[in-house]
Amino acid sequence: MIERLLELARRRVDGGADALWRRVERTAVALEWGRLKSAGATEEAGANLRVRHRGRVGVAGTTAVGGDDGGAAQVAPLVDRALASAELGEELDLVFPAHAALPSLPTFFQQAANASLDDLIAIGRSLLARLEREGCRVNVSVERETAETRVANSAGALGEYRSTGIGVSAEVWRIAGDDVLAVGDAFEGADLPSGDAVAALADAINARLDHALRIVAPPDGALPVIFTPPGLSALMLPVTQALSGKAVLQGISPLGARIGDHVFDAGFSLVDHPLRAGRAASRPVDDECVPSRTTCLVERGVVQRFIYDLETAARAKAESTGHGTRGIFGKPVPAYTNLVLGAGDEVSGGTLWELGGGLLRDVKDGLLVDELIGVGQGNVIGGAFSHPVALAYRIERGEITGRVKDAAVAGNAYELWKRVGGFGNDARWTGSRWAPSVLLEGVSVARR
Amino acid sequence: MIDRLTAALRSSRADYTEIRVERTWSTAVTFRGRRLESATANEDQGGCVRALHRSGGWGVASFTSLDRLEAMVGRAGELSRAVRVDPPIRLADVPAQRADAILDLDGDVRGVPLAEKKRLIEACNGAMLAVSDRIVDTLAAYRDEVSEYWYVNSDGTVLHELRPEVTLSGTAVARRDGTIEKGLESIGLRRGWRSVQEREAGFREVAERAVALLDAPMVRGGTYPVILDSELAGVFIHEAFGHLSEADFVYENPQARDMMTIGRRFGKPVLNVGDNGAAPGLRGTLPFDDEGTPTQDTPLIKDGILVGRLHSRETAAAMGERPTGNARAISFRHAPIVRMTNTYIGNGRGRLEDLIRDVKLGVYACGAFGGQTMLENFSFTAAYGRMIRDGHVAELVKDVVLAGNLFQTLDRIDHIAGDFRWNQMGGGCGKGGQVPLPVTEGAPHVRIEAALVGGDVPA
Repeated sequence: MIERLLELARRRVDGGADALWRRVERTAVALEWGRLKSAGATEEAGANLRVRHRGRVGVAGTTAVGGDDGGAAQVAPLVDRALASAELGEELDLVFPAHAALPSLPTFFQQAANASLDDLIAIGRSLLARLEREGCRVNVSVERETAETRVANSAGALGEYRSTGIGVSAEVWRIAGDDVLAVGDAFEGADLPSGDAVAALADAINARLDHALRIVAPPDGALPVIFTPPGLSALMLPVTQALSGKAVLQGISPLGARIGDHVFDAGFSLVDHPLRAGRAASRPVDDECVPSRTTCLVERGVVQRFIYDLETAARAKAESTGHGTRGIFGKPVPAYTNLVLGAGDEVSGGTLWELGGGLLRDVKDGLLVDELIGVGQGNVIGGAFSHPVALAYRIERGEITGRVKDAAVAGNAYELWKRVGGFGNDARWTGSRWAPSVLLEGVSVARR
Repeated sequence: MIDRLTAALRSSRADYTEIRVERTWSTAVTFRGRRLESATANEDQGGCVRALHRSGGWGVASFTSLDRLEAMVGRAGELSRAVRVDPPIRLADVPAQRADAILDLDGDVRGVPLAEKKRLIEACNGAMLAVSDRIVDTLAAYRDEVSEYWYVNSDGTVLHELRPEVTLSGTAVARRDGTIEKGLESIGLRRGWRSVQEREAGFREVAERAVALLDAPMVRGGTYPVILDSELAGVFIHEAFGHLSEADFVYENPQARDMMTIGRRFGKPVLNVGDNGAAPGLRGTLPFDDEGTPTQDTPLIKDGILVGRLHSRETAAAMGERPTGNARAISFRHAPIVRMTNTYIGNGRGRLEDLIRDVKLGVYACGAFGGQTMLENFSFTAAYGRMIRDGHVAELVKDVVLAGNLFQTLDRIDHIAGDFRWNQMGGGCGKGGQVPLPVTEGAPHVRIEAALVGGDVPA
């Protein structure tokens, strides 16, 4: 369909066009409160068109692309709507990239694509079996996605790839009186998880649950706090928001004028890796025909660069870093793919999974934070945060002594990233972020 | 369309089948700073089939190509058969419904040129930018949609509706050196074009507040008597209590069921809470839910005692209770799950002044930047706060984060004013990957006798 869209656009538009077509099929099974409950299938397709006409840019999208004519009847109305959008649009010196060779990258895994409903159910059941315990209820979901993406522009660039994605998540609930405990985790990848990966997921949940059964009083004061890989979200979110070229362009990024400055601890490096094999977010080309490449954002504490899509780059007089991401509706926005914190070595977790990644022994009295409540609320990009804990443990004399409730942690992410006490040896993926546990010094901990 | 759907329904071999089809026209205009970010018109369409075989689980098939309707009815049936469920899923009875309902469009947005919509939101954006040169960034968005909705099920229900929605939202970012503050405006209505005219004043006000917050001190962390304004009280009751009253959380979890036993005391006798999907003109209002059950006003807490919960047909049958019309799906891409509609704290007596008269030192927490509940703990970020000193509202403070334990906090609500209002905001509720679902919250001013206020946590 996009060839026809671009062909018509070439005739009616004076400044070029680009288009994305995507078709997604999803199969999902859900085990709810310990039993198999539902199975679902999704078939979705759509196209997004962007045009530049008389110096102005407009976009339009539609899901009405099916049917025997392959969406041919929708081509003219979509171009009309994109032109109407451009008529109101701002002037923008948007240049569509020319054809370029794309890096080769495996994004489609036959085993994942061919997995039957029973295969997915079997993964769910094996995880359930490892998680069931007295007095607890378990929810498990397993989802497989296959997608075809096609992106092209009027300058002759074309990207096309098939991809697979697998998500397996589980949550164990334990309610005792008014004490509610939920411990969850997820596997995300482009291929089916190995048996070991399913076991590691269960181990990660079980270890956190075992330590959580005993409740202890929270500590109080400015303390060393270990943030586990999932627990790091509150500290990473301000940084990733501030490293977006869009925030920089708007003048709201605290890192906007800090390229080349030593802003973080020397152990802090952050890289965006769209070419990491086996990851669901990996892709050979972005959604605007820009070939994917690795982008070093922070190297050894020094800010290196920001991420850009075509429009943000055009406005900032910069180059797109290949981070254009677009859906069927709306225009592209810059977004990260796989973010890697630290050295980025992918060490397999194996069976030696331990909370805190070896950092516990350095802590006399402190906290280990696995999940916080309210991350993303408030004025995130400024760096200040204050969150009650959802799942956190007290550390005394180098050991976890139990779960703490009714405590809150607060601080400023930029200040804390200068006070890194150590990085753990437990780096892992949490969604599309690869990070180890991190020990930060002098975090405000309040009990209530 | 209805004929096509009923014919497809007849082809199903499942014991229960339902088909939902939606066609949505939407437009969106967004300004960022002085620049138009985008102005777009989109068309979205698709359907969802749910099927249930005796001793099978739910089979759900969603699709964007209507040519695939019959095939997807078959697919949903296969999926249901492939999932063995014991004991079987049962559905509570709901009488067959037939309706052809057009909600009040109040100026059909589909007839308004995109350029008019641009002018409207540009004026709101301009009102924020004009406040001060300290306003370094704004985001102002207009969004509307009209959704045509068809629903049929094998129990004989046939529905056709036209559902409008319009939202305006604004963010004003004020900055001085390293200090950044923001103000949020949000208006959301299940109506049309006429209902969103002349709304600049609200945008101006949040920008003025963002600038004022630059000079405001952080609230000193600690435990205070806290008065919630209507907006924050509404968000609080939705997040901190509403989600626990959704029966899918308890129906197959005996421990959760014990925790949420009907008759349990949740608060002092002043506390009344409910969810009303039939309240006229609100964003969470619809004549029927996405299983064809009529919506209703469901009391949840009466005089401090738990008296009800929110149900789908499945959870109602499992718990031997009546469906409440709370099975909702965000779009054809999803199956319905138990959701809130318009959730409220009922009126008490008196005014704000009566709540603060005997407060020596307290916090008046206003507006909501966000809220989240995890288990029995919650965290809410107020848009701003004012200290209460010796019975009077005093200076502006910022970074007011309320955190606490749900059960303790509900029990500490000791005074509720009589100034109830619905907060007709945009945004929406998230659950199970379905976000944002249009909901409304409403409340009067509410006093919590003691609550932890974060912010400047003394180290």
